[in-house]
Amino acid sequence: MKDNLRDDELVCRCEEVTVGDIRKAIQAGARDVTEVKLRTRAGMGLCQGRTCELLVQQIICRELGISADKAGFSTPRTPQRPVTFGTLGGDGFDK
Amino acid sequence: MTNKSYDVVVIGAGVMGTSCAYHLVKKGFKVALIEKIDIARGTSSHCDAVALIVDKMPGVDAALGYASIQRFLELKNELSYDFELHQKGSMYACETDQEMDIASKYAKSMQDDGYDIDILNPKELLEHEPFMAKDLKGGIFSKACCGLNPFKLCFAFVDQVKGKGLDVYSYTDVKGIKLNDKNAVEGVETDKGFLSTKKVVNCAGVWSPEIGKMVGVDIPVKPRKGVILVSATSFPFCNQKVQEFGYMVSKFAEFKCKRDPDVEKYNVAFTIEPSKANNVLIGSSRNFAGYGVNTEIEIIHAIAKRAIRFYPILKEMNCIRSYAGVRPFLDAHLPLITDVDKVPGYYIATGHEGDGISLSPMTGRLISELIAGEKPYLDLAPFSYNRSKKNN
Repeated sequence: MKDNLRDDELVCRCEEVTVGDIRKAIQAGARDVTEVKLRTRAGMGLCQGRTCELLVQQIICRELGISADKAGFSTPRTPQRPVTFGTLGGDGFDK
Repeated sequence: MTNKSYDVVVIGAGVMGTSCAYHLVKKGFKVALIEKIDIARGTSSHCDAVALIVDKMPGVDAALGYASIQRFLELKNELSYDFELHQKGSMYACETDQEMDIASKYAKSMQDDGYDIDILNPKELLEHEPFMAKDLKGGIFSKACCGLNPFKLCFAFVDQVKGKGLDVYSYTDVKGIKLNDKNAVEGVETDKGFLSTKKVVNCAGVWSPEIGKMVGVDIPVKPRKGVILVSATSFPFCNQKVQEFGYMVSKFAEFKCKRDPDVEKYNVAFTIEPSKANNVLIGSSRNFAGYGVNTEIEIIHAIAKRAIRFYPILKEMNCIRSYAGVRPFLDAHLPLITDVDKVPGYYIATGHEGDGISLSPMTGRLISELIAGEKPYLDLAPFSYNRSKKNN
């Protein structure tokens, strides 16, 4: 990650969240990836944070001067990639 | 934070704690809100969120639900932070004639009590929701129902009064509650120091029994898990919150209907709600499995199966995530909003199960009225700790 991030630079492409949005969330009290997510939607889109999560984490670390361990990550969840409701609920479902 | 003194200390910063804190500050109290993680990190961010009238039982349940909707409409203007409230109405869809029969009787009894609920024939149902299955038997609808963003509601309550009568202590563990020789509240012991206060409100939700034990008060709340699926964003094919009437069957034991055995095991009933971000949230299950929030594939399968039954269009749509939360369940199906005789200064606001977001505005208001010594807006007897133990 480069040293000087501008506020208007895009971090989460799915939900169009910028560096400035993340900084605002941190100012409002967010201290980890999940809290930034709740306040900005970063990581809530189609890719579920696969693209932006590490960036979000690094911005939090830099802004708050904390370790990556403290900034954490969001909870990994099923499905691991988008899958249709037809597949999930279909009769051919393999239990 | 040593030697700090407050009029009221609220424990738990989910929707109950933040609503109580907000309403107490509005009454002029100096309030501390203590939270072991941070605002809305438990049940209140692991749920869906609607304020409904069509899922309440006639009587006190409906009265509390209706009053909460009215309060939500006021809060939309009162709170600066946008919690995405919208009043699009809500519908129950019936799959069988038997369900339609029970639903119609339910709707009529609610109409008799003055609530605005319509009974829909199959054609009217499809006018409301054109993408639903064509073979449904009808439904019931109320335009009074609202949707909102649950964790943003918590932020909104806090942001409005933080620093103006409210101090928030996040990442703070409650270690004990100090009582005096008359068994009355004296203060709260935390890992960051002691807060002196005469009043404590236990808003710890599924964790409230632990905070009850600290003063010898038994709170029979059990965690009941609900799983929800999130769709990818799409065109708005779903206009409002829709639930299968079987949801009422899974919520209340009073209604007996034949259920799909595949969904019976986890008490799955179909619900769908559009979010402001153009996703839909699809639920949900109800099962007792401790405090864990795993989303087992069997439950996901059962929910998806019900979803494509009611909205065949979902077969081709993507699911991007599942999540689960634990709801504070009480056998009585009515929350505790109460003081406790044997521990003066100790109050409880919990046990709303899946209705916490929906009922939070009135719960906060009632607790603030109770603590201020005012006549509460509703009779609190049905929500009292002293109500029959067997009903708790």
